[in-house]
Amino acid sequence: MSDFLNAYSIQRWLELCPQGYLEDTVYGHGATEHEPEPLVEDETLREEAIRSTVQLVVGERAALAASSGLVNAAPDYPSKRFLATQTLDEARHVEIFTQRLYDLGVKKDDLESTIDHFANPNLVKFAEVLLEKVDNKDFVAGVVGQNIVLEGMAFTVFEMMEAGNRQANPKFAHTLAGTIADERRHVGFGENRIGSLIKQYPEKKPEIEQMQKEMAYHMLNTFSSSFRQGSAAMDAAQSMAAQSDGAGEGAEWQGVNMATAGPEELQGALENTVINEFKTRLARIGLEYQAPVMS
Amino acid sequence: MNPTSDLGSEPDDFDPHELEPGDFRDEVYSFEFWFQAVDGYLRDRPYGHSVPGREVTLEPSRREALITTLCNYCVGETAALEGASGMIEFAPNRHAKIFLATQVVDEARHLEVFLHRLADLGVEDPEAEIVARANPSLVRFKERLLEFVAGRDWDAAVFAQNVVLETMENTAFRAHETTADPVTAEVLDGVIKDERRHLGFGENDLGARLMREPGVRSRLTEIRAELDPLVLGTFEAAMGDLGADTARREALGREYLTAIERLGLA
Repeated sequence: MSDFLNAYSIQRWLELCPQGYLEDTVYGHGATEHEPEPLVEDETLREEAIRSTVQLVVGERAALAASSGLVNAAPDYPSKRFLATQTLDEARHVEIFTQRLYDLGVKKDDLESTIDHFANPNLVKFAEVLLEKVDNKDFVAGVVGQNIVLEGMAFTVFEMMEAGNRQANPKFAHTLAGTIADERRHVGFGENRIGSLIKQYPEKKPEIEQMQKEMAYHMLNTFSSSFRQGSAAMDAAQSMAAQSDGAGEGAEWQGVNMATAGPEELQGALENTVINEFKTRLARIGLEYQAPVMS
Repeated sequence: MNPTSDLGSEPDDFDPHELEPGDFRDEVYSFEFWFQAVDGYLRDRPYGHSVPGREVTLEPSRREALITTLCNYCVGETAALEGASGMIEFAPNRHAKIFLATQVVDEARHLEVFLHRLADLGVEDPEAEIVARANPSLVRFKERLLEFVAGRDWDAAVFAQNVVLETMENTAFRAHETTADPVTAEVLDGVIKDERRHLGFGENDLGARLMREPGVRSRLTEIRAELDPLVLGTFEAAMGDLGADTARREALGREYLTAIERLGLA
């Protein structure tokens, strides 16, 4: 266990992240990159960009609360140190996505009211399920909820958004690329550290699987309502992407053409990808994916 | 990463203290600012030092004393790590949460470099050694701090963590740095630079709070009266481990008390 955790030291994190892939970035992107003008000028597109970015801020705030709350519950120094790096990663994500809201024209005084207005209630419930485990200092359930379920979802959503923005909005795509690199590290820690703890405490399995089922329920409702709300803006965004420099065949993600896919097709691809990720990662730590019953 | 790029000023001319309070918080309590601050003194210093070949063989008694001192630094840094991480959830605003997240990683780094130094000195089971050598006053201080954090008591937690603990560490580390072997001295130098930032946050936060609500002062004074004996007891034992004479021990205690009194909590 200690050999694997040595790969998650602060020293390694410093070399890999701030002194590595974040070198020469400003709020996660190139210093000269900006949001594309058509996005900032078109009210429908701008509002949809604000709405989707608010969900990222809500998710990252939950991740910050969870990772910092788990430091005190961690059973060993190396896990505490890894969670310390994750705490700062998540704080950075809160910062860069908040900065994107400002870049999209949200005034600083209106930040909290904008977040309250656009936050998806299903995502808020998703976070509450996780934070209840963290508040109870339940390290095993907390890390599964945070580093497998929340991070697994975030990782896939960020990959989809990065693919969709690569041509039309390189600034946002670069911001997402840095967070994807962070999330990959977090998911890796969750799988490696928790597998041995699940073996040690098999009696915790039913409670953790119930938590996963509840989180998956709220996650799928989040996706469903987000794609429903954003369908008009998606049409406009695809038309903007088609007009942008370098547009041609359109980026592909999970076999879906991001430039031409409809909301239902994208939602289906996202759900399948996240659930398959969950199944794979949960199996690696000795748990079975529990499908929620959707109403 | 360049936090000044959006401000239109040259980095050399940049002084965050000239900013309006809201802009100051945006600028200083950020990941971007943190990285600018630490990168200068951490790059090319794996585990806090860059002095291959400067390692000296310590006399057995001096090595033994250094191990005890480092074990107690680990107790202090673990208290700070657990305190700062626990405070994020009830921090009053986003800026404080992000600043505390940077402090969490700083404290974890301090713990890591001190554990690494213990390994350099041949300690095979540092966790057991820390338990065996921990100073009771410092352990009690840690318990009290974590009680404030568990009670979500922001004023008491900031005071105990970012003023009292940081001042205690800053005072002890600077005193130790002057007599330490070259490797330990360089490790301490990087840690001290971080502690100054943490102390600045505590003084700014509580300074503003005391101006808005002077009534908080009497409560903090009571907490100080409770914590001072634990801090002074810790100093006494630490200076004994380092072989400091009585005059040096008293000077260290005075230095700590003067720093705390800057907040007007006499």
